[in-house]
Order: sequence, then structure tokens, then C-alpha cells
Amino acid sequence: MNPLRVYITGRGVLSALGKSTAETYDTLATGCSRLGPLTRFTPPHTPPLPVGEIEGLTWDRELPESHHMARLAADQAMTGCSKAPDAVILGVTTGGLSTTEDLLKEECNDPVRYRNHAIGSVAEDLARRYHCKGPVITVSTACSSGACAIALSLAMLRGGNFNRILTGGVDSLCRLTYYGFKSLQLIDPDGARPFSHDRRGMSVAEGAGMILLEASTKMHEGMELLGAGLSCDAHHPTQPHPRGDGAASAMHSALGNAGLQPDDIDYINLHGTGTPDNDRSEAIAIKTVFGEAPPPLSSVKGAMGHPLAAAGAIEAVIATLSIENGLVPGNTGAIVPDPELGLSPVGPPISMPVRTVLSNSFGFGGNNATLIVGQRRECPESTKAPSFPPFVITGWAAVTGAGHTANTLERLRSGQPCTGKLDEKALCEGLPPRDIRRLKRLSQMALALSNGTSTCDNAISPSSIYFGTAWGSLSETADFLEGLFASEEKFSSPTDFIGSVHNAPAGQIALKTHATGPNITVSGGDTSFEQALFSAHWLTRDDKPVLVAGADEGHEKLSPLFDPSVSAGGTLSDGGGAFMLQRGGNASGPLLRLLYFMGDWEEHVSMEKLVDHLGGPDSINQRYEWLLAGIPAVDRNKGQDRLSRFLDRTTFNGRVIDYRLLTGEYGAASAVAAVLAASLVDIADPNHKGALIIGFGKTPAAMEVMPS
Amino acid sequence: MNVIGSMADLLDELKTKVVDVLNLQDIAPADIDPDEQLVGGRLGIDSIDVLEMVIMMEKDYGLTIDNKDLGAKVFASLRTMADFIRLRTLEVGG
Repeated sequence: MNPLRVYITGRGVLSALGKSTAETYDTLATGCSRLGPLTRFTPPHTPPLPVGEIEGLTWDRELPESHHMARLAADQAMTGCSKAPDAVILGVTTGGLSTTEDLLKEECNDPVRYRNHAIGSVAEDLARRYHCKGPVITVSTACSSGACAIALSLAMLRGGNFNRILTGGVDSLCRLTYYGFKSLQLIDPDGARPFSHDRRGMSVAEGAGMILLEASTKMHEGMELLGAGLSCDAHHPTQPHPRGDGAASAMHSALGNAGLQPDDIDYINLHGTGTPDNDRSEAIAIKTVFGEAPPPLSSVKGAMGHPLAAAGAIEAVIATLSIENGLVPGNTGAIVPDPELGLSPVGPPISMPVRTVLSNSFGFGGNNATLIVGQRRECPESTKAPSFPPFVITGWAAVTGAGHTANTLERLRSGQPCTGKLDEKALCEGLPPRDIRRLKRLSQMALALSNGTSTCDNAISPSSIYFGTAWGSLSETADFLEGLFASEEKFSSPTDFIGSVHNAPAGQIALKTHATGPNITVSGGDTSFEQALFSAHWLTRDDKPVLVAGADEGHEKLSPLFDPSVSAGGTLSDGGGAFMLQRGGNASGPLLRLLYFMGDWEEHVSMEKLVDHLGGPDSINQRYEWLLAGIPAVDRNKGQDRLSRFLDRTTFNGRVIDYRLLTGEYGAASAVAAVLAASLVDIADPNHKGALIIGFGKTPAAMEVMPS
Repeated sequence: MNVIGSMADLLDELKTKVVDVLNLQDIAPADIDPDEQLVGGRLGIDSIDVLEMVIMMEKDYGLTIDNKDLGAKVFASLRTMADFIRLRTLEVGG
């Protein structure tokens, strides 16, 4: 059997360097910086800092800038491709936040105008644009988001179930990131000078990078995505590991994944943000992996700035340009390299043959991703298609308005509601005060869930974390912006900024559990937990334990503005669920599987198709005792109708639990439902049947819990 | 901006502010020794807290601390913070 190769068959790019691959190449070839004073908004009290803005970018203000940039870059990547992608996998950290900030500033209370706020809405927009009927996933791991999205896409394509994936990353400039990095004193007032002796920080930027990846068993001349590696420092919420351990681990893992040795790399595209700590840590990691004489290396962020979630994707495109044109981009901005780092990045751009590029992206939460792009030198050994034994559940936890796992499950099993919000004191019970003093609700919930899974029998620590959240850390986001606006953009809280990133809760879990494997946060409305399970499925290759969780906080002000089910659904509620899972090995317990997750009920999915996919009416009745139906309040009528049709078609004779009536309305309610399913199956007779959990909201999704 | 009274008053004020701003849940203001090491010491204060204190100094006392070296000196202890506030306020006032 020929190994499955993954080719980059389309690419699009938009950044301060240019609005196309050609413009980007031209700018890189000059080695000039494109940083300039911020103009997207006007800081009232301080001179605008240097940023990387896209020149001459105009757009219809009804659509947030991120959505617009994503469309422009994706249109480039999809040029010449007449087929719909099988999946859209994007890295995004702020989504529609730039628009949301304007709306909050003018005290707009109309939820309709916040409809594009969700970070997941960018990928959903692209999926509609290119008629994608498959999974739509938004990865949000701060500054490594784009690279992590591409790494997930690679794993999916190698798994053999997908042929073509549109993937990449996008982020616009907004107040949260501009003032946030400023409050952390991580912005260089003179513009980023990565690896320079006098560097003082980064320059925030905007942009989008998109690639179309296609799997093929044939070898051809095209540009290949050769490998990817993910890791987590599990060291600090913002600072990189001082010895670069996590970064080195991501690079090693990517090389192993690609079947390459360090000697095979011709050019290292550094993360190189220009902050003193990042560059120091990355330099040590490079020397760990490549020794004292690494290949030519440079950071493009002195020229482009740092477009956050887009960085890894744009730099993947730059890697292809480097190979295609025999160009090693210059390390713009650093006249005198820092002698302490013991590395000499290239000065001006150099012309030389480049066949293989390693590109680093590191983010808050110690979240590391490395991609390797190149033209294959020789055909590697034939590899077996990966096999995926199901996830065995070895522990679970839930938190709802009714309390922690035991209280929640007791009420849910007896059909009583768990709506409302658990008070902070009860939520944080058992968590050391010092661990939580800087954390707000969603991160507190994440730690409570992680703590809950580890207090189950046979407590074990996870090696990787997968976390799904529809809305992220709303308290920190609201408090940060409120403080900013109240002080006329003079003061902002560094703590709130750090906590506001979507991957802050998963980063906290990693810190607590020392989980140094992949640390992936995903977001996609009411199927955010399913996205986490989906990502864990494709990225888990060994039998080490993984923690898969979903949680959302109910925020008095923001939840009703962002989530239409909250405004339609009565008591403000929140909660989440978490599982400790293990693939194979010696684990025993019920099994958790994601059975179906794709498309849109309205456009692509018929009830017949779903029922067939689940094995048909007979099999469904034989396998399942319980059906947990998720009907978000905003889709109450349609969802109820879909449920009735499902019941008609299957003549399902088990027990049906309309779980949102019990949990209340929040994105990650399906995580709580999955925990309920696990507890029902676990306490039943051993030869009992399983439980089916189906989302009847906008995106159809089905999971099952089966007895061991 | 606050009117600066006696050193003892200023130290008490800073104790309360630090506990509040940094949400030091297991520390009472009166428990902090004005001369004890703030960062990396018993109180569990780290570099992120220093940045919060930088904002607090600017917001409440109008004082800017924009480099790490100065920050290390100012935030060595509550007394160095108080000294810095008094010195700078006298300079501005004088």
C-alpha cells in the first residue's frame, strides 16, 4: 500500500506583506518591514504603536474584518478547485470581536448585531461559501491556532476519511489584543525586532492564511505538508518554558511525524515574535533539536508583525513560497543579533535552494505547534493506515447549577432540572485558593472538572487536553473591555487579558495536571464538545490518557447577547462535563464514540441519512436503551420536529431525555448529557444497552456511550 | 490622585490594595510585613501580578513604571513601593 500523502494544492494569503502570494513574495524578497502606526482604531491617550496592517483593505462593515479577510484568502486558496472541501478547519482567536468591541462601546443591546461574534462563525461562513457538507472546526490555541488547525487537518487526511480540507487561520486587529499585549508590556514601541540584542517585544498584526490540502496515494511534484508536531509546556499561562522544552518537543514530534531528521531541514521559519522571553526560549529549543549549527533561520514577524491565529497559516504559505522561489526570507529588524542567544538568524533575504521548511508557532498556555512543508526527497517506508481503537471512559465529571458530579447526576437521573449557576464558592470547592485567585468562571469550571475526573477511582493524569467551549471566557473578556472603556482606553487588566483567550481554561488544566501533549481548544456553538471529541479522535495515536471536556459560562450581560438560545431559554445557566479517556491499552469501562458530526440540518442532512448512518432502525433499537436529545431553545420547534421524525423513523422504544430542559441553555450542554449517558450505562446491568446522544440543533451530531 | 499622608498610612493603604487587586485569598492585609519580599516570596506574587501592580500604580498614583529594572526595584517590597510613591509625589508636588 502506498502511504497517504498530503499535498498543498491551493493557498491564499493576506497580511501586511501583501494581499496575494505574489505580493507577499515580492515584499519578502526586499526584506523591508511593513510595520506602521495603528490606524484601525484610534487610541485616545497614547501614540499608536507599530502594528502590521493590510494596506488598502476595505470591507462591508456588516461583516467583521476577520470574516472578510478569511473570505479573501480562502477564495485565493480555492481558485481552480471546483469541488467542495470535505471539511473546514480554521484557527481563530478573536473572530468577530473587533465588531463586538464597537457594539459594546456604543452600548448596543441588539443580539442580532452580535451574530458574527463567535470565533466559530468565520469557519461556518467559509463552509457555506464553498458548500462544505462535512465537519467545520475552529481551533483556538492563541498564537498557535493556525498551525494547530493545519496539524489537525493533516491528521484527518492521513486517517483516510477525508480527501480535501480547507484549513488555515485568521485574526483581525482589535482592542483586546492590542491593549492586552500592551498591558503585558510585550509590545516593542519601535516595532518588533526578533532575535535582536535590543528587542523589546512584538508588533500585533492582522491577516489570514489559507491552504487547501488534498490527500493522495500518488507521489507527484507538488508541495507536501510533510508533518506536524504539537505539545504543551504546562509551565505558565503566558511565558514560554525557560529551557524551551515544549518547543523542542513539538519540533521533535513534527520531524518524527514527517519521517525526517534535523539535517533534512533547509530553512527554519521561527516563531520569533521579538519578545525577550519567547526568542530566548526558542533559541534554546532550536539548539536542542539542531545542535550548534542549525540551518538558515529567520522570523518574518519583524516585517509582518504577529497576526496571532493567522501566523502559523501565513507562515505555512510563506514556507511554500520559500521553496518555490529558493528564498530564505530575511530576519527583518534585527541589525545586531542577540549574542546571548547564540544563534545567527539570516540578515537580508538570501537566495538558495530550499526543499524543506520547518515552521514554528507558539502561543499562550505554552501551546506549541510545528509544521514541516516540503518536497519529498524520497519515498518513505510504506506505513499502515492508522487504527483507532475506541475511547474507553476511565473517569468523568460534571458541574451544573445543581453542583458537582454526584449532585448533578442524582438530579439528572431522576429527571430533575440542574439549571442556574452554581455559586463561586461551591464551584471552587476543593481547589487551592492560590490556584484560582486569578481565574474567573470558565477557568474555575475547567479546573473543577479536571479535578473531578481525577478523583474518580484509579486516578490518572492526562497526557493531552481537548476542550470545547462555545463562547470562551466571557467574564474576563467583559471585565477587560469594561475596564478599558471606563478608563477611556487608558487602563486594561493583564490578568483579564491572559484569562480571556479561549484556550486559557485548557492551559490551566495542563498546568495543574502537567499534561505536555497536544492541548487543543475548539469552539463551535452547540457542538463545541463534539468538536473536542472529534479532535481528540484524530490526534490521539497512543494509549495515553486524554482529558476531553466541554464547558460554557453563563454571563449576565454577554451570554444573552451572543447565544440566541440563552436569550430564548429562561434561567441563566452554565456548566460542563469532562471525561478521562484512553484508547486501548489496559483500560476498562464504557466506550465513548463520536458517530456523526457534519453539515447542517437545513441544507445537507436528511433524517434518513442520519438514521442510516447510525445503523438503521433495528440496530438503533438493539443497541440503545436511552436517547439523550439536545434541542437548543432557539431551535425548539425545528428540533422537536426533528426528534419526532427520528422517533417515527426508528420507532425507538427506549427512554428519551430532552436534556436541555434539565441542564439549561449553554453551548457545552452536550458534555453534561454525555456524562449523564455514561453514568446511566455504567450503573445498568452489564448486558444492558448503550445511550445515544443526538444534537437536534443547527448542526447534527451524534455520540454514543456503550457498556464495556 | 491620592493625597499622601504618613508612611504608616501609605503602607496600610498599599497592603489593602495589593490584597484586593491581586485577589490574595489566603492573606489578610495586616499579615503582610512591609519589608518582606513581594515577588517570588511567601505571598505567591509573580510577574503577572507585577503587571497588575504597574496598572494600579498608574491608575491610583499617576506613576508610570515602564521597564523591568525599575519594576524590580519598586516592587521589591511594600516599603520600596511606598518610598517610590512618596519620592515621585514629592518631586511632582515640589
